Amino acid sequence: MNGVFEGFDDIADLAEGLDDPEPGARIMAVIELTDSADPAALPHLARAIRDPDAGVRLLAAQGLTDFDGPETAEALVGALLDDDQKVRLAAATSLTELKDPEAGTPLIPLLTAPAEFVQVACLNGLKELRRTDALGPAIEALESGSPAVRCAAVGVIGWLQDEAALPALIRAAADTDPAVRRAAVAAFGFSGSDYAEKALIAALRDDDWQVRESAAETLAKSGSPGCAGPLMGALEDDFWQVRLKAVRSLGKLGMRGAAMRIGPMMNMPIPNLRKECAAVLGELAVAESVVFLADHENDSDPDVRKNVRWALERIARGAA
Amino acid sequence: MDEILDGITQIDCDILVIGGGTAGPMAALKAKRKNPSANVVLLDKANVKRSGAISMGMDGLNNSVIPGHATPEQYTKEITIANDGICDQAAVYRYAQECYGIIQELDEFGIRFQKDQNGEYDVKKVHHIGTYVLPMPNGDTVKKALYRQLRKARINITNRYMATRLLTGDGRVAGAICVNTRTAEFLVVRAKAVIMCLGAAGRLGLPTSGYLYGTYENASNSGEGYTMAYHAGAGLANLECYQINPLIKDYNGPACAYVAGPMGGYTANAAGERFIECDYWSGQMMQEFFDELQSGKGPVFLKLNHLAGETISEIERVLHIVERPTRGHFHAGRGTDYRKQMIEMHISEIGFCSGHSASGVYVDENARTTVPGLYAAGDMANVPHNYMLGAFTHGAFAGEDAVDYIADVDFAGFDQGMVEAERTRVLAPTKRDDGIPPNQIEYKTRRLVNDYLQPPKVTAKMELAQSRFAEVRADMESAMYVRDAHELMRALEASTILDCADMAAAASLYRTESRWGLYHNRVEYEKDDENWFCHTIMTKGADGLPSSRKQAVQPYVVEIGEDEKDAYSRQRVGAGVAAE
Amino acid sequence: MPLAQTATTVPVTVDQALCIADKGCTVCVDVCPLDVLRIAETDAGKTAYMKYDECWYCMPCEADCPTGAVTVNLPYLLK
Repeated sequence: MNGVFEGFDDIADLAEGLDDPEPGARIMAVIELTDSADPAALPHLARAIRDPDAGVRLLAAQGLTDFDGPETAEALVGALLDDDQKVRLAAATSLTELKDPEAGTPLIPLLTAPAEFVQVACLNGLKELRRTDALGPAIEALESGSPAVRCAAVGVIGWLQDEAALPALIRAAADTDPAVRRAAVAAFGFSGSDYAEKALIAALRDDDWQVRESAAETLAKSGSPGCAGPLMGALEDDFWQVRLKAVRSLGKLGMRGAAMRIGPMMNMPIPNLRKECAAVLGELAVAESVVFLADHENDSDPDVRKNVRWALERIARGAA
Repeated sequence: MDEILDGITQIDCDILVIGGGTAGPMAALKAKRKNPSANVVLLDKANVKRSGAISMGMDGLNNSVIPGHATPEQYTKEITIANDGICDQAAVYRYAQECYGIIQELDEFGIRFQKDQNGEYDVKKVHHIGTYVLPMPNGDTVKKALYRQLRKARINITNRYMATRLLTGDGRVAGAICVNTRTAEFLVVRAKAVIMCLGAAGRLGLPTSGYLYGTYENASNSGEGYTMAYHAGAGLANLECYQINPLIKDYNGPACAYVAGPMGGYTANAAGERFIECDYWSGQMMQEFFDELQSGKGPVFLKLNHLAGETISEIERVLHIVERPTRGHFHAGRGTDYRKQMIEMHISEIGFCSGHSASGVYVDENARTTVPGLYAAGDMANVPHNYMLGAFTHGAFAGEDAVDYIADVDFAGFDQGMVEAERTRVLAPTKRDDGIPPNQIEYKTRRLVNDYLQPPKVTAKMELAQSRFAEVRADMESAMYVRDAHELMRALEASTILDCADMAAAASLYRTESRWGLYHNRVEYEKDDENWFCHTIMTKGADGLPSSRKQAVQPYVVEIGEDEKDAYSRQRVGAGVAAE
Repeated sequence: MPLAQTATTVPVTVDQALCIADKGCTVCVDVCPLDVLRIAETDAGKTAYMKYDECWYCMPCEADCPTGAVTVNLPYLLK
């Protein structure tokens, strides 16, 4: 049936279009090669990503997301230094779509490349591949002068979930750049160690509110009873966003001793915060905290009222 | 292109999947994987690469049931309560049990879900009851990833063919009749099983802007799934449970509370205060929204301006690249900035769409319709609150079950007269020298839908709608006129829309009670559990008109405690307010 | 009943200087869910244009155009 179905044409025939003098025709050839999703198209796309026309190169860089493995990775890293910014960005994005751990092989040596953009792209590409041999170079990349590189390196390290990397993450949590600190703090979530907890507690006093917010949130994943005190300290943070995460984490960790500290926060003006406090008071279900909730059965915010009602019911049932 | 050509071709396949948006690709893939020798055809009115509701991706999963965050039992309970108890739980429960496997599979396809700094799914808690939201900040590549899988599996893809009617014979499905949208040539597909994944009826009501294509749903989803099922004799459930959604006014795109919610944004009235009491996304919630719009406290807004600048930048980044990315252009054109102003919201025009409500072609937990060999999945099937992940998951169920079904059957015979009759019907507007263009037929139908069918529903108004629809139908059948193949596609859509409008009116008149908040707010009637705690099933009657009957709700798989029902009803808005 | 010629402004615009339709590209026409774009042949060569004012302002045409020639504006009635 000609014309009814999308074709499964011979790859060599499709590739002939790449020799057409018209860029438009070469673009259409790249699209058809990409759409084939046939591994045989890969070498042709690796050629098209070096086409004289930027539009062709762009589509080839985008199209390579449909392929995987070391050859794909190699073609893409070649485009990371393209003259055209769009092509460079497309190649970097396509690198993050790799799934085959083997595809990481051409990326690892480039973690020490001179160009910051190449380093970041390769680190981002390696992250999801979770290659254990990327850990060493990623830790080394933490020494880079570029915050973007250090941030991407934290990504690789965090995904590997290796306790051996904790000292490096702790250094990253003291980085001069807040984005790096924020990423490092969130990366402690996998580890239940004292080491990680100490770093998270220290981060509750970071200068940057988003780092503090991240620390308060992450403590719920790895925290021990020892973090109750510092989390309660975070209830006094200047930023309501940090206070909110601290409340949520105290609830998740079942820190019943925090209920009487959370209770007075029901009078704070931010409804999001009152809503979270009411929910957590319900989760903790400490009978004495009813006094803080009772006033808010008629709170001006319906979400707060709902959580208050729910919390009061739970406390009345004696649930905990 | 677009010149009307005379031509007809017939092809055979084992499984025909109609609709290449969300459920369709998954159905085709699962069928092919389960039986690699099966000839699976995936047909689309547009181009599979960019068709359907998730043409530009999706910003998150609203209903992911991920171990450690939610349980299938809790999810099933919530969906049952959100649907006022009228829910056959088996399909919902099976979804809840299996959707996590589908998430993992989509992840392998290269569809990107939000993960934390350790690479774990970053599920967000939106309220105290369940934790179902999994953001997709890079969810713009969903279609690309699906398309790649289809090509790898060597699925036969047919673009730019619009299915217009199903073929039936021997008491089961026999295939479909399709028309090329650029040449008007016919394609008759004989198939042992047909899986319908044609999306919502999104062009039923008229958006407040008056622009025919400025709809909430992808405007190419004009409801063919509902009409094809209807004309093939399948049952359709609860069509009176319309879809009405909150949205950004005029832009008509979703407000994306599921993106903004976990980051602290919310829906507020003009005073900047929350007003929604209802915990669940439901008709009840929409009633509250509607009431606030009508009250002195309205209109309604998306409030983000209390959030930190860093948070707003993050929200913008997601909203301006995924799902409806022209939203950024829209706000720029209006000079609105999330940091400074609240964004005016409104409610959408009515439609059929189980993705957010519960109306649709009746299916069981295997996605089977009431016609043997015919399946339905996604927004057009009646599994409630299915959203994108439900479409994928039930699409998978349909594909796998269809493979079993075709193992024991050959092609069903059908009457060639069906093909001839359909050719005559389809081509009639091409045979006239002048007449009424399809856009006017469509505009008039949809304007009448707004005037007479939009809730609050009133008996006399709906009856008026029926007589006006009959007049439009007479005009359409005697005088609709098209000049090219593209207009012919629009003419066929106009006919679909009119069929859906008739079904919406008939279904709404049949259920003489109020149910599902705003979705079926029949102001003359109270909720009536004694007589109406049931599904309504519509089929095409012997007289060719819609015929409705009651069908019992299947016994629950997951029991709902009396106190849980109470907790919900205490949040209900009083009947007096609802009737305003 | 003869048909009128009522003017309407269309939301999708194509920069003819960037469009490479005359070099064989049809990407935007291929991806449009509503199928409203076509290639016009003018004295200056071929170019993509919006033939039917039936736009969901969804953006595949703009996002997938290899030369950045396509811009999706909001339809006037709702912008």
